[in-house]
Amino acid sequence: MIVTRKAVARRTLLRGIGATVALPFLDSMVPALATAATTPKPPVRMAFVYVPNGVDLRNWTLGYEGGLDRMSRILKPLDPYKQDINVLGNLTHNAGRALLDGPGDHGRCSASYLTGIQPRKTMSDIRAGVSFDQIVGNHVGAGTSFNSLEVGLEDARQAGDCDSGYSCAYTNNLAWRAESQPLPPVLNPRALFERLFGEDAALTPQARRRRNLYRSSVLDLVSDDAKRLARDLGPTDQRKLDEYLSSVREIELQIARADNDSIKIDPGFDKPYGIPADFAEHFSLMTNMLTVAFQSNLTRVATFLVTREGTSRAYREIGIPDGHHPLTHHRGQEELMEKVAQINTYHVAQFAKWVGKLKNIQEGDSTLLDNSMIVYGAGLADGNKHSHEDLPTVMAGRGGSKFVTGRSIVYRKETPMCNMFLTMMDRMGVPTEHFGDSSGPLEGLDLA
Amino acid sequence: MQPAKITELPPVGVVYDSNLGQGIDSVLALALLHGFAGKQQCRIASLTVNYPDLRAAQLCDAIERFYSSAANGDPFGPARSLPLGIVEGKNPPANLPVLAKAWKSDIRKWNDTAIPELVMRNALMANYDGNAVMVLCGPATNLASLLKLADTAPLLAAKVRVLAIAEGSFAADLPAARRVLAEWPTPIIFCPREVGAELPFPGSAIDSDFSYNPAHPIAEAYRAAGTMPYDAPAPALAAMLSAIKPNDGYFTLSGPGTLSLNSEGKTVLQPSAQGRHRFLKADPAQRELIAKLYTDMAAAKPVAPPPRRLPPQIVAEEEAAKKAREKK
Repeated sequence: MIVTRKAVARRTLLRGIGATVALPFLDSMVPALATAATTPKPPVRMAFVYVPNGVDLRNWTLGYEGGLDRMSRILKPLDPYKQDINVLGNLTHNAGRALLDGPGDHGRCSASYLTGIQPRKTMSDIRAGVSFDQIVGNHVGAGTSFNSLEVGLEDARQAGDCDSGYSCAYTNNLAWRAESQPLPPVLNPRALFERLFGEDAALTPQARRRRNLYRSSVLDLVSDDAKRLARDLGPTDQRKLDEYLSSVREIELQIARADNDSIKIDPGFDKPYGIPADFAEHFSLMTNMLTVAFQSNLTRVATFLVTREGTSRAYREIGIPDGHHPLTHHRGQEELMEKVAQINTYHVAQFAKWVGKLKNIQEGDSTLLDNSMIVYGAGLADGNKHSHEDLPTVMAGRGGSKFVTGRSIVYRKETPMCNMFLTMMDRMGVPTEHFGDSSGPLEGLDLA
Repeated sequence: MQPAKITELPPVGVVYDSNLGQGIDSVLALALLHGFAGKQQCRIASLTVNYPDLRAAQLCDAIERFYSSAANGDPFGPARSLPLGIVEGKNPPANLPVLAKAWKSDIRKWNDTAIPELVMRNALMANYDGNAVMVLCGPATNLASLLKLADTAPLLAAKVRVLAIAEGSFAADLPAARRVLAEWPTPIIFCPREVGAELPFPGSAIDSDFSYNPAHPIAEAYRAAGTMPYDAPAPALAAMLSAIKPNDGYFTLSGPGTLSLNSEGKTVLQPSAQGRHRFLKADPAQRELIAKLYTDMAAAKPVAPPPRRLPPQIVAEEEAAKKAREKK
């Protein structure tokens, strides 16, 4: 047998002056004589998409177990992907509860969400715990450019009192590198792009704008390398590479549009340079970049703080001028509850678009979504009651074709959210006996 | 997490793990607990059931609905938010007269209930150090599971003053009972059957003191449990009372020692000056007083819970939003 196809190394990079572009998973990365047993599998990725202030449970809860059938109003946007997700019920974060610390559920629930630790109630000497995404990132990050990526959409301060004596560091971060060191999310798409593909993040906005008049696309900078590589690829991989580079280019164009965007809708706060005025576009841009980062193995771990916990952001984009947080304290007023449901549905709709993108990216005989665990959730269940049990949780993806999807799974009450983290750590190749208040791995997700 | 300064401790929190409905004793102990809680002499930290029969959870749910809502004029309104834990299992339901009645409850499936050891652990975390007691009536299954959770022994040692055990079916799960006696990190008071027999619940109170509500679930359960009139032996009531009121002289205690199970499964105390375990002993002089206390407390009318207060930040935000609307 004559083998003509060349294997491309998984860590191949396209390089140009001031730019580096990692490659997606290509068929050519599988050695030509590989067997099923020796074929390298795409890596498993994980991400958390966190929404604040709980949800309108009346319109979130499915009310049944087993195969996903009729989606609730808020989850309806995920209907096209219901065979790719699991909706999980009754997961609890006891560390988010008051226990002995009184008011401050917003501060506690976000700080404990990925750490599993009740944060110290303070505005100065903050202390939570190392979040599990960072533990995973530290273990799996060796083969990637970034141990983890932290992104968000809402500008938020890191100091001061954001909830009844809890520092803003608690409400405004999800990932914690050390017990006193949160990792603030990157809000600016350009900053994230340059972190991923270039090194000019240190430039001032004016200098960057001036330079952009003359600068080429990142793809132009690496085009020679890309052409060289393409010659060695088969037609399928050439198409994949084209699609991938096109998506990188699309992100560049989106960012360029955002740079020139005049504020069309008042979002209620000042937007820094480079941040799209439109919430949905901002969401899309950040998830596009996370997709590329996952696709090209720049990272395997990401957290996405959609907006900060306790936010009073208005959603004029969908005709809601009221603040999100005050709305959630509706005290049963139907008009306010309706608006909360609209905001919740709007968030899920953005998430669903991302799930769709991940599902459309082929990796060998599976998809990027198959090889991911993308959790959409909140640290509060009912924003009006500030409840920390039955937290809204959707897990999209099959964790490397390990999970059965398409189901509504309702666990027994008080099942720790940290049990899900244990299971995810195991899928990420970081088996751990205990995390936070876990009592064991989450049962019922695995393939039989 | 324990706050640095505590000006005044709340009433002691009671973690009650029982074989509710296997007999009437465990049901009466729950009524006694509600009586003391209604008078702010203790708090109900958590309720769990230690044998796998969903009907027991339904009974507990029905009783909780009664106590949480009767004070508001709706005897079967929504249950309290406290999650109810019960050990899961596949044992076929036993023929238990208290559970034969269809108790009004929304509990239909195991996942309508909580994992008992997690309920207990999470409840204890919300109590100040040394301000909780635990009462066990029934097999030690749930307590043994609690001991298996990571980092639980230091939590128990910090939070729990005492574990009071009513003999009853304590040894029904022998490995669990052995584990609890060997590893439990706090003092244990063991209430033998004999004490329960010496201090029974006065059955005559059922038709008199509970009559303020014709659908009183405690009275209904009592009538279902035996042929009226009868005085129910009550080791769980004694264990509950000794845990909530240890210093009121209702009982006497044996000398210290170490509890263990002998070859017949009987709990015995090996005297030892360093031991942290004791037997509870009845004081004949207290018999009438205790019978009256049992009746008064177990039959006490439900008390409305204090209204929920909104955090100041939310009140401030609402006021600001209201002003903004008015300005518009």
